[in-house]
Amino acid sequence: MVLQVKETDNVTQATILPQEASLANAEMFKEEMITLVANGAKLIVVSFENVNYIDSSFLGSLVVALKYAMPRNVDIYLVSLKPDVKNLLTLIRMDKVFKIFNDFGEAMEASK
Amino acid sequence: MEQDRIRIHFTSNREEIPGIINTCLEHVVQRTKTSPSSPDTFSKVKWVITELLTNAVKHSGTGYCTLIIKVDNDTLTIEKQDEGNPLSLREQATGNVFRWPIESLSGKLEFQIYHNGIDSLFVTSEHSNCAKFHIEELEGVEMPGLLIDTSEHFGLLIMTKASDEFYYEYDPATKVNRFVSLFNLKNH
Repeated sequence: MVLQVKETDNVTQATILPQEASLANAEMFKEEMITLVANGAKLIVVSFENVNYIDSSFLGSLVVALKYAMPRNVDIYLVSLKPDVKNLLTLIRMDKVFKIFNDFGEAMEASK
Repeated sequence: MEQDRIRIHFTSNREEIPGIINTCLEHVVQRTKTSPSSPDTFSKVKWVITELLTNAVKHSGTGYCTLIIKVDNDTLTIEKQDEGNPLSLREQATGNVFRWPIESLSGKLEFQIYHNGIDSLFVTSEHSNCAKFHIEELEGVEMPGLLIDTSEHFGLLIMTKASDEFYYEYDPATKVNRFVSLFNLKNH
């Protein structure tokens, strides 16, 4: 299991558990995200609070999840990214593709 | 600074990646202590090493590669060598697959590999055994169109954007592939 999932006011809060978001768990992450969408989530807030580093495989899974979610009117927000992780997303311009917030509370404000 | 390098052998076991990254970064910190190596550069070096090793696990088709980290004057070189499958890339526009070394190359070959977000990754080859990567930015593309056009592949894009220079070479005599990332420490 890669994600710890909690439902709060129709929002699915999914916290990535491993410190390394990498090739080792990218496929499982993708499957768990797609299951959340298929099970009826409307907004999934993915927390990176535990993640110290991320690689291209995991980024690819994030994009696949968003591509699966958007046609089904499901949004995916990213929160609590450590500077190194956020800087990598910014380097490859994924900050233009994903909605990124400092924390869960800020994401909730934006969703209203 | 005198030329200095370390060589690390990697058996394409993904569990080894975090440990190898740490070893490489320690070397970089030690050998660049007289040069200004910013946290930003440190992160970029880490991303390149991560992607070179991940690439070895996913694509090289061999169970073994060597990572060489070299600091020479103001240049940090990160190089991955293996004897696996030579580079093979698909041109996005036509679907044609090019395999290095490119036989009967006349003039310059250049095509787009993929684009992610507003970055478009290109490869240029002026010699049959070489490929150099670069980025061109696409303007005026917004969500949701941005997502539709985004591929799920990021490895080459990360290495190209993080490095000051990123290229591939194939040695037909030894059948060795070399991916090389250069950092000009004066720029960082």
